[in-house]
Amino acid sequence: MNPGIDLQQRFIETLTDFGLSDGISKLIWMPVPMLLMIFGATVGVLVSVWLERKISAAAQQRIGPEFIGPLGILAPVADGMKLVFKEDVVPANSDPWLFTLGPALVVIPVFLSYLIVPFGENLLVSNVGLGIFLWIAFSSIVPIGLLMSGYSSNNKYALLGGLRAAAQSISYEIPLALAVLAIVMMSNSLSTVEIVEKQAGYGILGWNVWRQPFGFILFWISALAECERIPFDLPEAEEELVAGYQTEYSGMKFALFYLGSYVNLVLSALLVAVLYFGGWELPIPIETLADLLHIPQDNAILQVVDASLGITMTLLKAYFFLFLAILLRWTVPRVRIDQLLDLGWKFLLPVGLANLLITAGLKLTLPFAFGG
Amino acid sequence: MLKFLNKVGDYAKESVQAAKYIGQGLSVTFDHMRRRPITVQYPYEKLIPSERFRGRIHFEFDKCISCEVCVRVCPINLPVVDWEFNKELKKKQLKHYSIDFGVCIFCANCVEYCPTNCLSVTEEYELATFDRHELNFDNVAMGRLPYKVTDDPMVTPIREFGYLPAGVMDGHELAANQQRAGLRPAAIAEQKKLAESASAPEGGE
Repeated sequence: MNPGIDLQQRFIETLTDFGLSDGISKLIWMPVPMLLMIFGATVGVLVSVWLERKISAAAQQRIGPEFIGPLGILAPVADGMKLVFKEDVVPANSDPWLFTLGPALVVIPVFLSYLIVPFGENLLVSNVGLGIFLWIAFSSIVPIGLLMSGYSSNNKYALLGGLRAAAQSISYEIPLALAVLAIVMMSNSLSTVEIVEKQAGYGILGWNVWRQPFGFILFWISALAECERIPFDLPEAEEELVAGYQTEYSGMKFALFYLGSYVNLVLSALLVAVLYFGGWELPIPIETLADLLHIPQDNAILQVVDASLGITMTLLKAYFFLFLAILLRWTVPRVRIDQLLDLGWKFLLPVGLANLLITAGLKLTLPFAFGG
Repeated sequence: MLKFLNKVGDYAKESVQAAKYIGQGLSVTFDHMRRRPITVQYPYEKLIPSERFRGRIHFEFDKCISCEVCVRVCPINLPVVDWEFNKELKKKQLKHYSIDFGVCIFCANCVEYCPTNCLSVTEEYELATFDRHELNFDNVAMGRLPYKVTDDPMVTPIREFGYLPAGVMDGHELAANQQRAGLRPAAIAEQKKLAESASAPEGGE
């Protein structure tokens, strides 16, 4: 394994060559990946909103946005601009502090979770040892924000939406965590980088889907429920609850909810790619390709190509799952609240436990294949 | 124990079935994505109104005899007929005629019953105005003919579903000479005539 490009090292070395001290150059480096990640996540949201509108239109034999920029690419930007300039209304008799705090509490953890999404060996904001656990911890903050905004709106629909969101998030967090736990057990690590590295070497055959097919389905269903995507969009079921906890929001605060939900969806898709589909790995390992073409492992061009291919592969895999989520939106109807809880507690939870147990057994009996 | 295992088996079978149905549904939505959008992009493309379309009423001032039949057959007595009896000619003389299209329901009863055919329906349906009083058309406004969709160089005319050839579901990219499904009225009349002339010798005597 070659270590690939270490941008941080190069950046800091360049700055120290200019005569800056080591500490200052590290300080200058620090905000770069963070801002890049926030920017990337926002652009990812714009792309996914555009895709959502275009694919929805295609599934319904419509055209979708067409005149705002080529193929309507600027439609999400126009939406965003509109929301920025809209009046920010705080309803009478609501709690203004909780009302303002709610959307912030929903968006911040989702953006923070991008900390652990790797696009390459060294292409992530921070290789936290806790990794995937951090994501689960962050995502359990979100229902507090939802409940807060639903309760403070002083509106029955908002309150109901908030309660539903909290109930749904809590019941689907557990199967999600169980699915992740099986992966973690196989990889012997919580770190996302290490989880991907454990899948490397054998190309498409080494990916975790083959060893965790039930875990993957479990994870995907729970992730959809966590994102409140359509088969599970009860908290904002517009036919029953207007827009759930978002009912009273407008302008920038509503934009935060909107942004948050799409950022969360992209994040979930990215994590499916990382946990089950080998993250930045190519279907055919790049080392094998380089050997075939007789290119040495430390070739600079190979490393650049490797890094850009890694980013492309991660995004491609993630956007494939985003596409699947959009297609599912127009395929399956919304479940009832009792069906939702039935599915969560009576199906996903036992299957998740059984999956974990079987993975543990396989790890003991077949240590070479299940990371013993 | 066996009962429990049976239950688990049934549950598993049901889950597989549910997954199968969701898969089928996904294939249907996926298949829809490669079909051409049926959207008619309105200001640039317009459907050609059908032959029996009941749009804005056209009025010919000189034909009107001020009989007020249109007022009587109108569900809400909408047309305003302003006339005066001309003693020299011993005739009613029409001064003004108007219909408020903001109130009209376009049933075309007036057209049906007008004895002199001075009323007729047009294919005009774009009646949006900034002020509802602008919809109160007088005899001059009602005498104007609408611009045909097929004559407008800015507009791509698209045939309605009923006017498409057999088996075609979409009016886009259709050649102008392709006939609609079924016989034309002229062809039906021809057939009728032939059938009548064939049966005439027997029924004649």
